[in-house]
Amino acid sequence: MPRAHFHQELERLERELASLGDLAATAVRSATRAVTDHDEVLARSVIAGDDALDHLYLELDQGVIALLALQAPVAADLRLVSVILHSSLHLERVGDQAVNVAKILRVTRDLPANPTIVQQIGEMGDIVVEMVLTAMEALRARSLELCLRLPTMDDPVDRLNRNMHFEVAKLAGDPKALDWGMHMNLASRALERVGDNAVDIAEQVSFLLTGEFREFTDASHPGGVVADVD
Amino acid sequence: MSGSGEGMELTQERVDGLVVGDDHHASRPVVGHRERVERAEPAAVFDIADLSVSYGDFRALRDVSLSIREHEITALIGPSGCGKTTFLRCLNRMNDLIEDARIEGQVRYHGVDLYDPRVDPVEVRRRIGMVFQKPNPFPKSIYDNVAFGPRIAGFDGDLEELVERSLRRAALWDEVKDKLKESGLALSGGQQQRLCIARAIATRPDVILMDEPCSALDPIATQRIEDLMQELIEDYTIIIVTHNMQQAARVSDRTAFFTVEVDEANGQRTGVVVEVAQTHAIFTNPSDERTEAYVTGRFG
Repeated sequence: MPRAHFHQELERLERELASLGDLAATAVRSATRAVTDHDEVLARSVIAGDDALDHLYLELDQGVIALLALQAPVAADLRLVSVILHSSLHLERVGDQAVNVAKILRVTRDLPANPTIVQQIGEMGDIVVEMVLTAMEALRARSLELCLRLPTMDDPVDRLNRNMHFEVAKLAGDPKALDWGMHMNLASRALERVGDNAVDIAEQVSFLLTGEFREFTDASHPGGVVADVD
Repeated sequence: MSGSGEGMELTQERVDGLVVGDDHHASRPVVGHRERVERAEPAAVFDIADLSVSYGDFRALRDVSLSIREHEITALIGPSGCGKTTFLRCLNRMNDLIEDARIEGQVRYHGVDLYDPRVDPVEVRRRIGMVFQKPNPFPKSIYDNVAFGPRIAGFDGDLEELVERSLRRAALWDEVKDKLKESGLALSGGQQQRLCIARAIATRPDVILMDEPCSALDPIATQRIEDLMQELIEDYTIIIVTHNMQQAARVSDRTAFFTVEVDEANGQRTGVVVEVAQTHAIFTNPSDERTEAYVTGRFG
């Protein structure tokens, strides 16, 4: 007999994950804009909004545990449950990184900003938000092609993050500017992690679609060696 | 059915006594003391090729080809009417007992054509034992249930020792050792099923076929049978038909998924094998979308 109730519940959890993805992407977009535009109201809304994100994550977590306990999913259903469990945690962390970025505005608002760095933070924010949305669209559309776009999208983010260090070092002659710059380096690192979380979600979706887990990028093998895990 | 007997010489030690007129009966290997050989892949006990089974005009099973590996538990799953039990009954020639059953294709047991006219079906059923859905002890004492097969086969060793060993192997000895003279029918359902397993073991088989052995049992009794299967697999090869997919997932090494194909012209329903693979693969990443649909409950 078809397991209608089980599949309805699984679809509901996937919809909730999509909502979590929207919340997380919005949080990162707002946090980045708050920093680049000096928008304290926006920053406060990101920090306050994280509770909703955490609540949704916990709901998903409990829903997945209940499904595993009660329905014993197998095959593609089991892989989808695993994707929901892992991806929800990645998105919760994306939300935390948005909060980290938003909080930086509090301690930097009275410090002199550097326009080049502000522009780079804005650029990184735009790309990683697009990465999160692409990974979530890959899940919605069950698209391996979209999954495989993520590592390429991540390249400029990594490049901008590495370059941020040098841009900040240029501010060494002005202690206040340097103080501001070092916080922007933290914001850059937080956004770079968002990009990595998006790649991780795409890896999960790829696992759902192919049945094989494959790391797209591997920090411990920067030469491009990619690990396959059976 | 091919009657060539081709390949017999390759596995002589394993099939001595199977063929009528063979005088090597006494030298056959004692099951349970077989030397374990480390292998990358277990040897095949059964090689089934293009097996089709018909009952009169009704074709129950079509073109089944698969191997059953030694010391593994193979689970047969699939919807009702897909031919799982029909297939199981082909493996110890139980279908011979059905008048209009017709078997085509090949069933090789350790390389021997099981349907070679020279093969003794009684000896086949001794080596390839069967445990049924409903426990079916004889209306005899516990002791006599276990001793029945060996007596019929002319066993001339220490029968008491054999009965005790079989009951211990079936994880029943401690529960019945003080009431061996009592009727087997007085036992609980789970104990009766373990008695049937002891009875099957007593004839020193090579393979145990199980046709939904837990479907009439409660969860505790089911767990005991599943644990027992894991112990028995050291010495035997087990093939289990089960409707409980979680049971297949829990106990088996490999799983064969059968399904029903309906002939649009005449509406006739025939069983076919869709996929045979490691159980882990069947339940995490099946190759065939029909398997996927069945195990995830989207079909059947």
